[in-house]
Amino acid sequence: MSDVLERVHRFRQTNGWLFGTMIFSACLSLLASFVLSVDAIELARDPSANLACNINQVISCGTVGASWQASLLGFPNAFLGLIAEPVVITIAVASLAGVKFPRGFMLAAQVVYTIGFVFAYWLFFQAMYVIGALCPWCLLVTLSTTLVFVTLTHVNLRDGNLFLPPRAQQAALSALRLGVDAFVVVAWLLGLTVLIISHYGTALLG
Amino acid sequence: MSKKSVSPAKPGNQPQPDSRRQRLREEQQRVQRERRVRTILMSVAGLAVVGTVIWAVFALVGSVPATPSAGSVDESTVVIGKADAKVRVDVFQDFMCPYCGQFERANGADLKSMIDAGTVRLVIHPMSFLDEQSGTARYSTRSANALFAVYKAEPDKALAFNAALYENQPEEGTPGPSDDQLKALATGVGVSQAVADSFTAMANESAVVQATQSAFAAGVNSTPTVKINGEKFAGNPTQAGALKAAVEAAAK
Repeated sequence: MSDVLERVHRFRQTNGWLFGTMIFSACLSLLASFVLSVDAIELARDPSANLACNINQVISCGTVGASWQASLLGFPNAFLGLIAEPVVITIAVASLAGVKFPRGFMLAAQVVYTIGFVFAYWLFFQAMYVIGALCPWCLLVTLSTTLVFVTLTHVNLRDGNLFLPPRAQQAALSALRLGVDAFVVVAWLLGLTVLIISHYGTALLG
Repeated sequence: MSKKSVSPAKPGNQPQPDSRRQRLREEQQRVQRERRVRTILMSVAGLAVVGTVIWAVFALVGSVPATPSAGSVDESTVVIGKADAKVRVDVFQDFMCPYCGQFERANGADLKSMIDAGTVRLVIHPMSFLDEQSGTARYSTRSANALFAVYKAEPDKALAFNAALYENQPEEGTPGPSDDQLKALATGVGVSQAVADSFTAMANESAVVQATQSAFAAGVNSTPTVKINGEKFAGNPTQAGALKAAVEAAAK
């Protein structure tokens, strides 16, 4: 049991796992962003959608599609995913192939992705408690953004790309050795699951 | 060997095997300690995963709504107006749908006067596909269930209750009126307390599910969908007077 855990722990530290997870999650996020973008365009193209609640629409009432949260910056939010995720995929593929990016470059990637991560969770809570739409593609974006953020942060802490003060860097490395990151991620995802199930209930099954 | 006990008074002149060994031992202890912490953390996480999965299964299985029982289509509609009225108007609606609310505000009075005049027989199909908008509060189902309850016990109050529900329509994404508020709305339009109290038994939930499913089966893909003598109303459902004109044309 303990041996298995140790092997899992060592595997989690490999570049293959870290960048592999990053590539996989970023691809999922890109796919979801693409589907949501196409939906947003469809919704804009069909004016009659704005006079009714569509039964099969991702966002089922036109008022919701027109809500300010759905296009915070004046265009559909999903476009941001189309812009950002290919960059993540590029970084991950190059890193997997052995490219070592400059520290400043990785710090910039971390900063931008952190903003995206916060934005994704803001949208998630807006969708759940304000817009009220059950949107499987949005949930996929939330999940995959989390996984990309976690692996990117792991890599940047490990490689000392974040320009942390020495003591903070030591603490971060020691936390990574202890597997605190995995513990936090598991707890985080479980919390999300509980929130989603207790909010949507059986609507998830139908 | 005497070198074994190097006195701290003479530092630096020899490699210090003791302190190196000690460092090695400390390193080993640290690795052991980290390994223990990892095992504990991962075990706790594993238990939490198992616990959450069990909780999720119970939460989802425990609240599956009743499946619709076989019954005639008439049981899943609310029919208001004279049987020999010239025009049959079907309205497919969901009490959570904001455009259904606009439809009601634009046409509610017209429909009532045409029903009273004996021109229109109104057939309401109360659907629940927007339940997710109110989360676990399932406002669409609860409000539609209440309308059925009023219709079955006191059919003459059904139209007024329908209008009252739209007047108090919640925003999308909110739980909507509570059960007690639904009862108060009903008694406010003259429904008896006994009927209002029966809402919480959810006796008409299967009728709501059936209304929703038969609407899907009939190809209804948005609400409000309005049909005049079976033909889909093509005009603007939220523009006052448009429906009335179409009904009058059909009555000729």
